[in-house]
Amino acid sequence: MELNKETVDGVCVVSPEGRLDSNTSPAFEAELLALLDDSPTLVIRFADLEYISSAGLRVMLMAAKKVRQLNGQLVLCEIHEPIREVFEISGFLSILDVCDDRAVAVARARGED
Amino acid sequence: MRCSLDIGNELTEIPRLADEVEAFCERAGMEANTVNLALDEWITNLVSYAFDDGGEHRIGVELEADTEGLTVVVTDDGHSFHPLDDAPEVSLEGGVEDRAVGGLGLYFIRTLMDDIQYDSADGVNRLRLRRLKRK
Repeated sequence: MELNKETVDGVCVVSPEGRLDSNTSPAFEAELLALLDDSPTLVIRFADLEYISSAGLRVMLMAAKKVRQLNGQLVLCEIHEPIREVFEISGFLSILDVCDDRAVAVARARGED
Repeated sequence: MRCSLDIGNELTEIPRLADEVEAFCERAGMEANTVNLALDEWITNLVSYAFDDGGEHRIGVELEADTEGLTVVVTDDGHSFHPLDDAPEVSLEGGVEDRAVGGLGLYFIRTLMDDIQYDSADGVNRLRLRRLKRK
């Protein structure tokens, strides 16, 4: 798995690419939590992710908990099938901040939407 | 259509298995992602918790496709763990602060599979999962 990063309107947008499973989640968790230490406002874009298991969702929940503690903002976007179904059955679509589009996600992370 | 596979008790075997399952499902004209997710969750649990001796073990994976769906049988020689009776309850209630980190893997298997059977005999545990074709 690769974690691609870009900055859009001052907001860090990270795009995991490939598979997020029990093999790749530990590295993803370490990198994501380190990014949140730098700045607790983050957009995660799922367009390039092919696969997610419960190990990947666990990292999402940990990140969301950390963002709450730090009073930051975490917005997830471009969650397509089949990944969307995994978020859906976990109940995560209703507890996490999720939107379709990267531009909307960035605006929301900046507190503009 | 049938296929027998055999993997070692290492997490790195899971993506390799996923490729094989995907190729099988493509030949059988079935969707692979759901079955791969259930297999991933089960095998991750086996590799992480079933083998106390730290040694090498083989995990068997048999796939069988018929006109109505796909059957997957996973065998291992670790200690037994019933995916329905032994699994802790998972609560989907509450917000980000309330939700427990973990426990979703077995919940996925229970939610996504249409039939789950498990038995242990003579030191071999056998999980049988069945996923019916969706209309």
